[in-house]
Amino acid sequence: MIDPNVEAVRYPITGRFLLGRLRQLMSEEEKSVLEGLVERTEWIDKPFRLIARGEKTDHSTMLVEGFMLRTLDDKGRRHAVSFHVPGDFVDLHAYALKRLDHNIDTVGRVKVGYVPHAAVDEVVAQRPHLARLFWFSTLLDAALHREWITSLEHLTVPRRLAHIFAEIWCRLDMVGLGERDSFETPFTQMDLAEMCGATAIHTNRAIRDLRERGLAAFERGRVTISDRNALESHAEFDPAYLYGAASLKLDDFPELR
Amino acid sequence: MVGPSQNSPSPVTRDFLAGRFRDQLAGEDLLELESLLSEPRLLADRQVLIARGEKAHQATLLVEGYLLRSISRDNKRFIVGIHVPGDFVDLHGLMLKRLDHDILAVGPARIAQVPHEELDRVIRIRPSIARALWFATLLDAAIHRQWIRNLEALDAPQRIAHLFAELHHRLRQIGHNVNRALRTPFTQSDLADMCGVSAIHANRAVARLRELGLAEIRRGDLYTSDWKALEAYAGFDPAYLYGEEMSR
Repeated sequence: MIDPNVEAVRYPITGRFLLGRLRQLMSEEEKSVLEGLVERTEWIDKPFRLIARGEKTDHSTMLVEGFMLRTLDDKGRRHAVSFHVPGDFVDLHAYALKRLDHNIDTVGRVKVGYVPHAAVDEVVAQRPHLARLFWFSTLLDAALHREWITSLEHLTVPRRLAHIFAEIWCRLDMVGLGERDSFETPFTQMDLAEMCGATAIHTNRAIRDLRERGLAAFERGRVTISDRNALESHAEFDPAYLYGAASLKLDDFPELR
Repeated sequence: MVGPSQNSPSPVTRDFLAGRFRDQLAGEDLLELESLLSEPRLLADRQVLIARGEKAHQATLLVEGYLLRSISRDNKRFIVGIHVPGDFVDLHGLMLKRLDHDILAVGPARIAQVPHEELDRVIRIRPSIARALWFATLLDAAIHRQWIRNLEALDAPQRIAHLFAELHHRLRQIGHNVNRALRTPFTQSDLADMCGVSAIHANRAVARLRELGLAEIRRGDLYTSDWKALEAYAGFDPAYLYGEEMSR
């Protein structure tokens, strides 16, 4: 087992990349290579559109600290299609796609690291195993998207919100940032509404519903959960799609090594 | 539906990334890819190609017909994606090894396959093919994002209109000429499962599109005289499909 805190100290910028998933398959050399790919880091204090849809980009962004959203705008309204936690190579998609079909928006205060695509080119040409892990990480996003489609297709707004809380907690856990019975986010009610595909009023009701059921209390970004199983079962949350330590886990595939 | 010419030097892979990344691949890359794939075989209507959690050992290219990605939960089925010819439908399995969803045929389909170990060898020696395959899987992710946005922003009639507008555009990218009729093997219940609504709501949505004079849907086939109007109604913008619209 990898100790997330040791990784985060040893590799301060990229140490959370694929933690809880395939990081244990990365050699120390590969971890150093990845750390060295980051050209510079930057703190961004306020919500900021890091990349706008359609913009040409020649680098990708590692999220070091804080949260981000992938969003799409529609008739003046923003729709969030996924969120990101530290260790996510957020817009690595832009390496293969060149222009993104969506925006990357920061939420709260974040620290990011920029990786030039020319450096990723070298990894693809010379380090096939690391390149595969990069590819893998982008496909995790696709799996998350499918789960969100399912969740939007059949869950009520309060259950969607419960699902989002369960997912945030589980993903923070995987990268070593989960706490025992609560977690801190920079999300506003409006951000939650954009993730649930609901109006502010419906989202407000959903927040109240979860609190009244004793499942989750959301207050200024902090989410407190006393009974994790109850929350997850209310949300029909099955973490398998996160490809961590659940039924789809990957550790019995020698070809991934 | 009449497909493109059969005289292509790569008859099995001729639709792969057509209208998108394909022109960035060298002729020899395309031939290499073609040489890897098996003789096409048939899948029957509703035949499951690969089930969630099953170990994946090969990747599958859809040559003809339609496949669906679906997720089942509590005896309910949710459709999270549609595939058209030229799509490597389970390529995610090359990296994820077990899929989080099922892939099944809707209507009869023809597929060709390549073992993962063969693909692994090729992507090691030909970075351009690696990038094209990576691109193809990310296209799926982009389509997923659009579906999320549709579920968040559109009502049922608009969702159905968007679905057909997307399909229309994707078929045109691979050179299928779709005029007034877009024929699919989808049932009304498939449409409902793609839109996250009940069969009754899907029926009403279909009726609504007819009332608005936008489209007539009968047994999965959509008839329209005005694709532009249908696209506008659905708020369809093809940029997420990464054809030429994205680079404008």
